[in-house]
Parts: sequence; structure tokens; C-alpha cells
Amino acid sequence: MAGLTFYRKEMVLVLLLLKNYYDNVIAGFWNQLFAIVALGILAALYFGSLGVAWAVTGEFTRWGAHVLQFIGWDVSNYSYLKLINFTGTPLTRIDGVMVIGMFAGAFISALLGQNVKVRIPTGRRIAQALLGGIIAGFGTRLAMGCNLAALFTGIPQFSFHAWLFTLGTIGGTYYGVKLSIYPLIMGNPKLMEVKEVGTAIENPVYYRIQPYIGMLGLAFFIYYLLNLVSGNYSANLLLAIIFGFGFGFLIQKGQICFTSAFRDLWLIGRANTAKALVWGMVVQTIITAVFLAKGMPPKVIWWAGPGALLGGVLFGVGIVIAGGCETGWMYRAVEGQVQFWFVGLGNVIGATILTIGWDSGVFALLVEPFPRVDLAKNFGYAGAILVTILMLFAVYLWADWRQASKSRMIGRS
Amino acid sequence: MNGKMYLLDLRGEPCPYPVVFSLEALRNLDKGTIVEILADCPQSFISVPEEVIKAGYEMLEPPRKVGPTLRFLVKIPDSGVISTI
Repeated sequence: MAGLTFYRKEMVLVLLLLKNYYDNVIAGFWNQLFAIVALGILAALYFGSLGVAWAVTGEFTRWGAHVLQFIGWDVSNYSYLKLINFTGTPLTRIDGVMVIGMFAGAFISALLGQNVKVRIPTGRRIAQALLGGIIAGFGTRLAMGCNLAALFTGIPQFSFHAWLFTLGTIGGTYYGVKLSIYPLIMGNPKLMEVKEVGTAIENPVYYRIQPYIGMLGLAFFIYYLLNLVSGNYSANLLLAIIFGFGFGFLIQKGQICFTSAFRDLWLIGRANTAKALVWGMVVQTIITAVFLAKGMPPKVIWWAGPGALLGGVLFGVGIVIAGGCETGWMYRAVEGQVQFWFVGLGNVIGATILTIGWDSGVFALLVEPFPRVDLAKNFGYAGAILVTILMLFAVYLWADWRQASKSRMIGRS
Repeated sequence: MNGKMYLLDLRGEPCPYPVVFSLEALRNLDKGTIVEILADCPQSFISVPEEVIKAGYEMLEPPRKVGPTLRFLVKIPDSGVISTI
């Protein structure tokens, strides 16, 4: 039966190709540059279609307010909550469902790649996570945005406050690195002499089932969306969930860690992520400018003053101590990294402290007296694009220079 | 094989500690020593091998991933590390 043999060969080939595809594309990690540029395009389209910037910490702040309400605290007088439109529930807000979509996307992505495992850190790391998370959470809300609204999506909207925040973050991460490699904080793992290598590998069977759970989850997610489409669900919320899913999937697959972008430049002179971020923002700037020039109002033009700069510094210190930023903890938390559950908790606590302190001097002293600077209003759209790209290019060159000048590395002294 | 063999188990440690600890541990070892590094912070899959090679060490095999566990087999070159630092 020559025909059947031929057919079998084809089957084997198809299976091999599928396995290859799974190993390299679905199970593996994606190229960071690709993932970040894709995130940049997606973020610009998110703004273009929904009129909001891709951001997460505003929503964390609202979670904190929900908790305060739940324990009977009166939050109606906090002006910060009015500023960030504290209404509805996480299920009725665009930011709210987008964040849920992000968790779903990151979790399914992690399952497909067999990356889910409950990883228990030491007590030391949990303390770091909580403390760093609180500092970072407070800092981001002081600056009116985190590594997204005051950096990755803020810069492409031509808001000058995002530049102050970014400069603050670069400075803050330097001190964060100094603190996190302090011997008492860092600890000292044991180097064990062994007779044979390769014996300490875990049983892979336990993890083989994960991709199937992931595919089941994906099928359920699509089914759920189709149900929403056929029901009377708001088109905007539906779109926000889908975008959120895409954001979450990409940050997990690309392991997009904004913390490492700056931290690793100081620590070991590793510039990959920082340079990729620059490319992601260049692409996003150009697409965003099209929407802005067509008349979409920019969403994140906030006060460009010491609040943004100081917020950036606190954020920079906090994220390095904690080990992850406001998006970094999200995908790591669903990967099962317990440490990052505490980073998330810290972020919510920090943001809530800022909410409460806002009216008692923080706003009047550090934020209110300073102007909201929209580069597009000052230079026109072409000028703003040019200025933004030149400044991004300066960051790129600085990253390159850090990579080349190994003698100044903190981690290799 | 003439050198000693070591295991550096960094499972549970978040980034950047796997990179920092790896480079630190490798620095003080003799020529020809082989070190097996285990980690489970996904980012280390790319950062540890790249930084280890940049620092002048040899990767004896491509980085391996079994479930979430990452395994790197590193050797201090017989000729010693030509330091760029």
C-alpha cells in the first residue's frame, strides 16, 4: 500500500511541524523588540478607538477606594477620586474590564508556555515586594501615571509631564539598584559542590497539561466574548476587554519588564529592553499623532512639575526594590510568582495613601502650581513628533553608552 | 573532565537576582569548573546566558527549559576568563 505509506509520512511531517510551531512560537518567549513594538501599535489603536490611554494604576487606585468604602470609610470628599472618575465598578469601567482582560491574556499565555508554577520567595523578598510596591504605587499616582500613562503611553501623547516622570524613574532606579544589591537585602545563595550535573530537574509531566488548560481557557474566553456580542453589552467595554487580552498576552510572551529596562542598564549594562522601549514609543508616537491631529483630545496631559519628577524617582526606587512595576507584577502574579501578589497589594496601598494625602497639601504644594504642558500645542504636531523622537533617540544613545562602558557597572565592581 | 562541578539553585529568586548571583558565583571559581544554574524567573531564560557569555564564560549547551524550570550549564574556560572589565 504505497499510497498509505505516503499518507503516513505526510502525517508525521504535519505533526512535526505542529510540534515545532508549538515549541518555538507558542511555548517559547517572543522577541522583546517585536512584542514592545506590537504593544506600541496596540496602545495607539486603543487610544484611537476608545479615546483613553492604556493605563492601569488609575484602576488600582479605584480598587483601593472600593476597599475603603467596604470598611465604611467615607471617600466622597477625596478630590483625587473625582480627578480619576471614580464611578461604577470594575465591571462597568473601561479601565476595569481592560485590566481583567490583561490578567486573562497573561494567564492564558503563561499556561500555553508551561510557565505557571507557584514560586514561593523568601520572607525577605516578600518584605521587599510590599515596601517597594507601596513606594512605587504612591509615586505613580503623585505623577498621575505609571510606566504606562506617564511613560510608554504618556510620551506618545506629547505630555511633558511624562518626560519628567521618565527622567525621575531613570534616576530613581539607580538608587533602587544600590539598595537592592546591599548585602543584607540581597542575601547569599549557596553554591553546592555536586558529583553529577543535571539531576535536580523537575518532573516535566506535571507541566505538560498546562497548554491544554490554556487552550481550553482561550476557547472559553472566545465563547464568553461571543456571548457578550450577542447580548446587549457595551461595544466599548467589549473592545476594552479584547485590547486588554492582547496587552496581557504580549507582556507575558515578551516578558516585558519596564523595571529591567532601566535597572539592568545600571546593574549590568544590559540595554536590550530600554532600546526596544524606545522603538515601541517611536512607532506609537507617529500613530498617536495621526489620531490627535484628526481631532481626538489627548488623554494624559497632566501637571508638569515637581510632583511628576518626584513621583518618577519614588517609582524608580520602588520598582527595583519590589522587583517589578505596575504591569510587571500583573503577568508575574498570574504566572504564580507569589512575590508579585505582594507587589500588587503594595501598589494599591501606596495609591490609596496618596488618595488620602492628596488634599492635605500634596496637590497644593507639588502639583497644582505647575502648568500642564502639551508639546503639540507648543510646537505643532510635526514639531512635537520631531522633539519627541529626538529625545527618545537621546535615551537610546544613553542606553548604548551604558552598554559600552562596562567599568561603571554597579553589579560588576 | 578535570574540574569540579557545582549546583547553583536559584529557583524562587526573582529578576535581577539570578543574573547577579550567577555572575558573582562564577567569578571566584577555578578554570575548568562546571556550574549548573537552575532558575525559574522566566526573564532569566534570555538574560542569564547572554550575560554569562558576555562576561567570558562558556555555555556547554543551549539553555534548557523543563516546564517553568530553566537550566544553564556553564563552564569556566580552561584558558581562564579574559576579562573586559
